[in-house]
Amino acid sequence: MYEFQRQHPVAAISRAFGLIRGNLITILVFLFVGARSESFPFLWWIAGGFALLLILGVANWWRFLYKIEDGELHIKSGIFVRKNLYLTKDRIQVIDITSGVIQRLFGLVKLDIQTAGSSSREAAIEAVTIEKAKEINRILRSQKGDGEQINVDENGEPAVKDEIKKIFNLPGKELLIAASTSGSFGIALSILATLFSQIEPIISESELFEYLFGMLPSQTDTILIISVIVIFVVVAWLISFFSTLFTYGDFHLELKEKEIVISRGIFEKKRITVPYNRIQAIHVAEGLIRQPLGYASIHLESAGYGDDKGTGSIVLFPLIRQDQILPLLDEVLPDYQKHHEGIKPPARALRRYLLRSAFLITAITAALYYAFDLNNWIWILPLLSIFWGWLKYKDAAVAWGEDIFLFRSRALSKTTAYIRKNRVQDITISQSWIQRYRNLCSVQVHVASGDQGKSFAVRDLEYDEAFILMREIKGKTELTQEFSDLTEPERWISLPGWPQAAN
Amino acid sequence: MQVMKQTPFHKLTPRAIRVWQLGNAIGNLFFFAIPVVYGAVFGTQGFHFWVIAATSLLFVVLWVLSIVLFPYLTWKNWRYSIDEKEIDLKRGVLMKNRTLIPLSRVQHVDTRQGPLLRFYDLASVTISTAATTHEIPALDAVLADRVRNQISTYARLAEEDV
Repeated sequence: MYEFQRQHPVAAISRAFGLIRGNLITILVFLFVGARSESFPFLWWIAGGFALLLILGVANWWRFLYKIEDGELHIKSGIFVRKNLYLTKDRIQVIDITSGVIQRLFGLVKLDIQTAGSSSREAAIEAVTIEKAKEINRILRSQKGDGEQINVDENGEPAVKDEIKKIFNLPGKELLIAASTSGSFGIALSILATLFSQIEPIISESELFEYLFGMLPSQTDTILIISVIVIFVVVAWLISFFSTLFTYGDFHLELKEKEIVISRGIFEKKRITVPYNRIQAIHVAEGLIRQPLGYASIHLESAGYGDDKGTGSIVLFPLIRQDQILPLLDEVLPDYQKHHEGIKPPARALRRYLLRSAFLITAITAALYYAFDLNNWIWILPLLSIFWGWLKYKDAAVAWGEDIFLFRSRALSKTTAYIRKNRVQDITISQSWIQRYRNLCSVQVHVASGDQGKSFAVRDLEYDEAFILMREIKGKTELTQEFSDLTEPERWISLPGWPQAAN
Repeated sequence: MQVMKQTPFHKLTPRAIRVWQLGNAIGNLFFFAIPVVYGAVFGTQGFHFWVIAATSLLFVVLWVLSIVLFPYLTWKNWRYSIDEKEIDLKRGVLMKNRTLIPLSRVQHVDTRQGPLLRFYDLASVTISTAATTHEIPALDAVLADRVRNQISTYARLAEEDV
């Protein structure tokens, strides 16, 4: 650990594959474009591309050195430009241990050490043995000074003080529900559409296409279009179903004295470690389909970069029954009270919510209706959008406690966010000229999360009340007192309002 | 009720108006490329003539307004205030915004000076938190340095971890 060392050679291959996977769509597009031009010796290009990636991977592996000294991780990397990265353990936000398919073939793992801000992506050790990863993990997470004395159990985890207090698992039934109601459905659909737009010229000329649609009972255009849409939706749903299944299969949430460990994944195993004091905010999302079924997912914001590129959101629990949310949060955030008194937007804000949701959709529907002489059923869309606006109004609320804010709002899914007051990076009150006329305003707070930060907002609150809320950031405390002078009793609401477990 | 703070709010320097006028006068010329390109693609006959005339007229009006009116309104609506607890920014003409940044959240603060600002001896102050970046757009260069130093002094006093 105290000498510079290289990663396992497999890092070269895994890095090359990582590059391919990161640019998959681009590569596919190139392939299809290439396949269509016959003068192009594109097989050679592919072979050359792979060779180049491998050479790059090997060179990267050769030039990548790391060591740990005095609780500081030092990484030297870069083929031509040498980069020296020093990471002190006090700055570490999240430690991520992943094992992809390639790593697992060789019994290796990838180690991702995230700090706040964007440079974190550099600090990834692509392939090391599990023992080494655990040792690095142990050294970097141990307390200052006594790092050497800690007893180590057979897993390489520090045995003292930090044993697992509680484990939450995701039962198979709920994994299946999570997979079938996953929100990545829309993403899958859009990727599919992009792909299809590339492949379409090829397959529409092929005999397979003719054959498939020859099998359909009658070949009117409407049936053709509808069947294409149905096929799309089914395929996209299957993709999202299986990707969720593979991502969140074998899910465990371990709570320890000082940190949370989330491990998940079937083919690609991932193990994320987040210290409690690095949690910036927690939000509960109840999706359009999941909410009526009584389910929700829980996410946490960390200042590291989290699951996806750019955002610091980490899935704390992929699917949970509504009456189980509070017991789980009690374990994760034991120091904070969960129920708080809050306020809703005033009744006159409802009109703004309805207009904002329905106006554009109604205008577009009307234009299309008259332009293309559509079926009357199309008017169900504006009706739905009015209902959507009403839902948004009904769900909008803010609440507060001594050291926490609660923001509840709805875009498509209903989001309830617990934000620590001392983690709020800034608070903005904004007022458009229509809102000014009605004496309403929107409140938005930012918390650190990945590169961009994450914002939570509630719209159309009473202006004076939002102002008191803003003042709260400045450390005033007679909040409830001041509100009771302003707010009509029917606008008080108790958040979060999930059903309690019957026990 | 809405008297929130004792520290006074400051305006930007009036020279900011000149900078924005010059910036808009040059920058918004870009919009005239739209009718020009449209004309090059579709020709200037019949229906297309009216499209080009209408968009050109619209852009001329906007261009003049962006020089004569908008910079003044922006300047008139900008206020900032800094004390040892937080930075308070008020801005916006149609959409009014008020942002509060606790000083303990400030990660770093710097002054920037593009060629246009340098010409008028102005500078902007950029305040970064772990999540967002805010800008006080045009201050006198000397004042900008002072504001930057003030913020960084206060921020050091209010130091807390992310």
